[in-house]
Amino acid sequence: MSEDKILLNSGPIDDFVGEIEKLESSATSRVNATPDNADSGLAKLVLTLIELIRKLVEKQAMRRVEGGSLTDDEIEKLGETLMKLEAKMEELKEIFKLTDEDLNINLGPLGNLM
Amino acid sequence: MDKIIYAILISNDRQDELTRLLSGIRGISDSNLFNITYNDISVVASDFSSNKIIVDKEFAIDYARVIEDLAQHFTLLPVRFGTLMESPDAINEILIKYYDEFKQNLQKVENKYEFSLKVLWDYEKCSGKIRLKTESEDQNAAKLFHNNSVSTEYLLKKIKEHRFESALLEHVEQLIGEISTRLAQLNPIHKFQKMVTPNIILDAVFLLEKHKKDEFIQAIDHLKSQHDDLNFLLTGPWPPYNFVEITLK
Repeated sequence: MSEDKILLNSGPIDDFVGEIEKLESSATSRVNATPDNADSGLAKLVLTLIELIRKLVEKQAMRRVEGGSLTDDEIEKLGETLMKLEAKMEELKEIFKLTDEDLNINLGPLGNLM
Repeated sequence: MDKIIYAILISNDRQDELTRLLSGIRGISDSNLFNITYNDISVVASDFSSNKIIVDKEFAIDYARVIEDLAQHFTLLPVRFGTLMESPDAINEILIKYYDEFKQNLQKVENKYEFSLKVLWDYEKCSGKIRLKTESEDQNAAKLFHNNSVSTEYLLKKIKEHRFESALLEHVEQLIGEISTRLAQLNPIHKFQKMVTPNIILDAVFLLEKHKKDEFIQAIDHLKSQHDDLNFLLTGPWPPYNFVEITLK
């Protein structure tokens, strides 16, 4: 981008450049399946969807706990289930050598998944 | 040989001007630009041989430069980077088939500029302040649990995280709300994306009447003076890259 396109800048330009580079690198790290990496490309896509659903379930569960509608026993079971789900997710990420960043997706007006 | 398409523009009765302009601009890989016209709209294209050309960043910059040069003289719709058609006849067919949609989109962007606004904050610093605020509420969260177990400890940790995330999001939404309310006074068409990275709280594009450019810059400058903790980057004017909505089938 040429400098004459900058109409107003109130911070160090390097900060913006750094952030824009991060955006570009996340755009290029989208699922890029080829015959050689079809497994990991597909795993990334599937795990991203699972993580999205897990996060939604977790948010809903937090609302219920904070709403006070659950018994102590139900809270206990819920905590254990969520904990196991998170542990299983970590295990899968390790198997497919994926990081939280790899599974991050931008949900448009809702912001990022992670 | 394939034809690469740069833009669709309103040429009306300015055919001679368009021809003169095209003779002074070089296409990608120093190719000649030409136009194909139907009624009052034209497609600007050049020859393209995929065997000879390496598609890289330079190629993309050249492509954008052509669109930029054309946009200084004509109202146009930028075409997606790397759009190819097999012949002038194929381009003509597209012009006829989608004439109404092209015209509708061209009218939408006529006499308007696109601007891009990115708003940054220092995530570490700002989130630290928000975390401090939510910590007082966190003490109440422990009262939700009567048992002391690994599960309830895990849930308590999660509740604290969620409360922090909600407070953070609420704060960001409040900031974006202030920005959008101020800019809405100029009636732009806009598209917002929030928190695209932890530090970019707003990545927005605006389509605005050309004569409001200075007023728009002043409005951003005013917002900047009200928010010392935010950095604003306003760029433009750009061809309307983000406001063309046509899908060719």
